[in-house]
Amino acid sequence: MRVLHTWLQRYVPFTVPPAALADKLSMLGVEIEDVVDLGKRFEGFIVGKVIECVPHPNADRLSVCRVDIGKEILQIVCGAPNVSVGQKVAVGRVGATVPRNQHDPNGKPFVLSQVKIRGVESFGMICSAYELDIGNDADGILLLNKSTRIGQPVSVALGQNETLYDVEITANRPDLLSHIGVAREIGLVVGKKIARPLSRPRAGKTPISRFLSVRVLDKKNCLRFSARVIRGVKVGHSPDWLQKFLRNVGLRPRNNIVDVTNFVMYELGQPLHAFDHSLLQGKKLIIQQAKAGTHFQTLDGKDHELPPEAVMVCDAERPVSIAGIMGGENSEINEKTVDIVLESAYWNARNIRKTARMLGISSDASYRFERGTDPNGTVAALNRAASLILEIAGGELLHGTIDIYPRKVLPRKIPLRITRVNHVLGTRLPSSLVKKILKGLEIQVSAGKGGTFNCTIPTFRIDIEREIDLIEEVARIYGYDSIEEKGIASINLMQSFPTGHQSDPVRTSLVGAGFHETICNPMYDLARAKIVTREHIPIKNPQNKGMEVLRASLIPGLLDCVARNSNFGNRHVRLFEIGHIFEARQPLTDRQDLQSAVEEERVGIAITGRRSPRTWAEPERPVSLFDLKGELEALCVSLGLDKSKLIYYSTTESLTEQTLAIEINGTYAGYFGKAKTSLMALFDIEQEVYVGEMLISSLILSHERKYSPLPKYPAVQRDIAFVVSETVSADDLERCIRKSGTELLKKVELFDVYEGNELSGNQKSLAFTVTLLSGEKTLTDSEIEAEVRRITLGAERSLGATLRSS
Amino acid sequence: MDMKSKIDALLKEAETSLAQATSRESLEAFRIRFLARKGSVATLFDEMKTIAPEERPTVGKLLNSLRAQIQSSFDGKIKQFVQDHHHDKRIDLTLPGRSRFVGTKHPITQTADEIKSIFVSMGFGVADGPEIEDDYHNFEALNFPPDHPARDSQDTFFLSKNLLLRTHTTPVQIRVMEEHQPPVRVIMPGKVYRNEAISARSYCVFHQVDGLYVDEGVTFSELKGTMISFIKRFYGSSVRYKFRPTFFPFTEPSADIYISCFLCGGKGCRLCKQNGWLEILGCGMVDPNVFRSVGYDDEKYTGFAFGLGIERIALLRYGIDDIRLFYENDIRFLNQF
Ligand SMILES: [Zn+2]
Repeated sequence: MRVLHTWLQRYVPFTVPPAALADKLSMLGVEIEDVVDLGKRFEGFIVGKVIECVPHPNADRLSVCRVDIGKEILQIVCGAPNVSVGQKVAVGRVGATVPRNQHDPNGKPFVLSQVKIRGVESFGMICSAYELDIGNDADGILLLNKSTRIGQPVSVALGQNETLYDVEITANRPDLLSHIGVAREIGLVVGKKIARPLSRPRAGKTPISRFLSVRVLDKKNCLRFSARVIRGVKVGHSPDWLQKFLRNVGLRPRNNIVDVTNFVMYELGQPLHAFDHSLLQGKKLIIQQAKAGTHFQTLDGKDHELPPEAVMVCDAERPVSIAGIMGGENSEINEKTVDIVLESAYWNARNIRKTARMLGISSDASYRFERGTDPNGTVAALNRAASLILEIAGGELLHGTIDIYPRKVLPRKIPLRITRVNHVLGTRLPSSLVKKILKGLEIQVSAGKGGTFNCTIPTFRIDIEREIDLIEEVARIYGYDSIEEKGIASINLMQSFPTGHQSDPVRTSLVGAGFHETICNPMYDLARAKIVTREHIPIKNPQNKGMEVLRASLIPGLLDCVARNSNFGNRHVRLFEIGHIFEARQPLTDRQDLQSAVEEERVGIAITGRRSPRTWAEPERPVSLFDLKGELEALCVSLGLDKSKLIYYSTTESLTEQTLAIEINGTYAGYFGKAKTSLMALFDIEQEVYVGEMLISSLILSHERKYSPLPKYPAVQRDIAFVVSETVSADDLERCIRKSGTELLKKVELFDVYEGNELSGNQKSLAFTVTLLSGEKTLTDSEIEAEVRRITLGAERSLGATLRSS
Repeated sequence: MDMKSKIDALLKEAETSLAQATSRESLEAFRIRFLARKGSVATLFDEMKTIAPEERPTVGKLLNSLRAQIQSSFDGKIKQFVQDHHHDKRIDLTLPGRSRFVGTKHPITQTADEIKSIFVSMGFGVADGPEIEDDYHNFEALNFPPDHPARDSQDTFFLSKNLLLRTHTTPVQIRVMEEHQPPVRVIMPGKVYRNEAISARSYCVFHQVDGLYVDEGVTFSELKGTMISFIKRFYGSSVRYKFRPTFFPFTEPSADIYISCFLCGGKGCRLCKQNGWLEILGCGMVDPNVFRSVGYDDEKYTGFAFGLGIERIALLRYGIDDIRLFYENDIRFLNQF
């Protein structure tokens, strides 16, 4: 919200310069987003007097003027038809920036330079209202008041020596949405009380009751309705000061009646509405809920279908205004208006907010009402507006005020314990100081029992409801900077919280293995959702078409990363992401709770391109499924899992082919495979990518590690190469070896696979290293031979394996 | 022992000895021992004098063959040795090492880790919560009444009437307090979602860290102390800071913390929008209404809470001018951290 420096000074005297004021207000919690010197755009423009004006020797439409600007006299070539000797004009000097160029279609600003126009030197420019950006008259130069002083800055002459503060109001402080409200805070800074613009407009003898009656049917939402009537006004342009005020706070002047209502809203914070009395049927206003489905034209010309929640101000026959939000076209002030009704009300904030949202309207009025206005400020605002209207537009104010206010809102009374203030803040503020602070806030304070203050809160401070709200006020006025800081002991609180995330070791391990961690947007499009065949959770109000559902897999995000990197020439990458995936147990409806959504932390991995960076020492090799399998196994081992506890089985997944599922200790832990070739077009990828996805919870089972004593005797290793039918899998043979061995057999590792000329067509050779170890003694050659024989015999019997002759 | 046996024994001895000779020195020792003028082979030739003349031609033949054999084995070994040795010298040590891929932690993770470690050292634990939240945890329990304008500041993605994507990590505070009795001292990092237009300055997904400390007698003064020690450890002890009153529904009193701009030192620049200060943290005393919604005694306990945006801190810290870079995962970007 914008407030103006010179106007603030009318309500509270202060001399603090703008930048310092903004700073001080900020430290009170009133954030000043921006401080704008409105006079700055008139820098280089001064008031001058035309002392000579002769026709240009070489151009019919131009004049050559000599203009007195106080310290010097400038020669200026001017093209305006209305220029003549004796005029006071606005002169732009060489170097000044003209706010609008009337020869440019977009009116772009330009810098004045010294020029020769048809052979005559010109040292500046005499400006039009359009060029100064204070009006739309471009036909001739702007003529200033005869009494304007020569040499004065144009900003002063135009009353534009004003500073504007853009105030950011937090949701709890609607009382700051006015000049009076901001002035009150400035009063706290400079230690002065504010002066309200008191106004007791002179009323005539005709009672208001002869011209207007009001009935409130919706008592729940219309908490107070005040109105006055003025007859015989002359609708027209507002005086300069009012137009200037409105323009400076960012509003467009309309007519003197509407302008006054807007002015009072910016002055006191109370939104007002003016009706043309002659357009109100039956001389009455009825406040009631809208009939659902009714259409209504607001005064901005838009048509709205009214929701049943909307509260309407109606005349005898039809709605004339959406209460607290916007008036209707059917009863607005127009140039023929003679009699007016001024409305000043207090509405249920929640209802206004709800209705405004549903209608998609945010007006200055709804913005204030939905945050909360002062219920006891309606009549003062009404009177202020009435006296300004009488002054500006004339007319007769009818006797009396209609004021329907069934349940008067009384100031809240809140007890405040001084001990509690210091308990929460960690301070030792004396009660006298606390009292002084509260009084500065217009809070009445009386001493209660046992160090308690009974505080009476003015009704414009709707945010102060509890003791803690008062403590907050004390803290902010005392100053956060003045509260001494104290450290907390970093003791162990015996709390049951870990000092890290369960996924931390997974991340560390993968980074160590040469993977880049990625963070992808957890929302993707329907095309991706379609290929991840899960029950996706759609977003009701997506940001755009690319983010319509929550991801049910990390893999699409990783594939998009592969594509992006590949497009920029990095085709050999190893990526992972640790993040949540989301799935609906069944399509979500409005009645469901959190249980209907599955959310799970996973790690997704993708590898593509070369197995290792290109090097002179090794031939280049592309990654294969077994590289990914090996990485996943290494990850599990690094996390303390026993590799032999990993169980793989073939499965099908929508994103991958050659897919293996992984079980760890009997629980499903994830899957991996080659990203389906058929999907690569969607991601715009032309190379093979291997991807996998694991559940974090399955990787971090119990992280308890136990020591087992080191064997006292050396282990022995023997290589055994078997020839088997190609239908026998490595896994089959490994299991068979394990089964055939005794407790001496500790480890079985495949180290070679051979299919080729030395074997017959349907055979292959699988070579294993077996590790034998006894806890009791060093194994003898014959014991080792016996164990190897048991193993080979077992393999021969169960799988028809024979030893490969070397 | 007859001459033939002696010759056989010497050959065997020489072979073993040669096999063990791998250095320049041991090879020379071998030559002196067996092949020199006073070496073992020469000594055997000398013994020819002692044998019967009729045997001399046969033994002489054997001795010559012995000498030839040892000499040839030795020559072969020398040749090999020289070759090996020569080859050593030809290795070009300037060749690059066999490289492997080097991984990186995402800059957001790195920043979060650093924040985490500072708070962990101050006795904070770490907690987690779901990204899909219900209205109650994300808003109502945090003192955002329904239809309250305070909700305007949190552009929300809705999944159903009741379910939404959390707009801050603050709901985790509620979850933590629902599960644990005080004292509670915990930080809660995580992803949050806001339905905001995407630009260089804002993205619809980002990361926050919330913090919470509740116990008997926790004060605003301690909140200040804790925040200041975090700021000093993160930004260095010479950083200037200020606490400005502000409003959050779930804390009261509330403060925004600003630090002096580290790019311009407070003189004003593009980074700090010319005002010399950067907003980095929001904090305050836990509002009694929040304690009530989790069943804590709001008279007995007080506490403070804080929250900060990790992207914002990382953007400022690394001088990154476009927040979207964090989610594009271009390895040319990731490799810089
Ligand atoms: Zn700066």
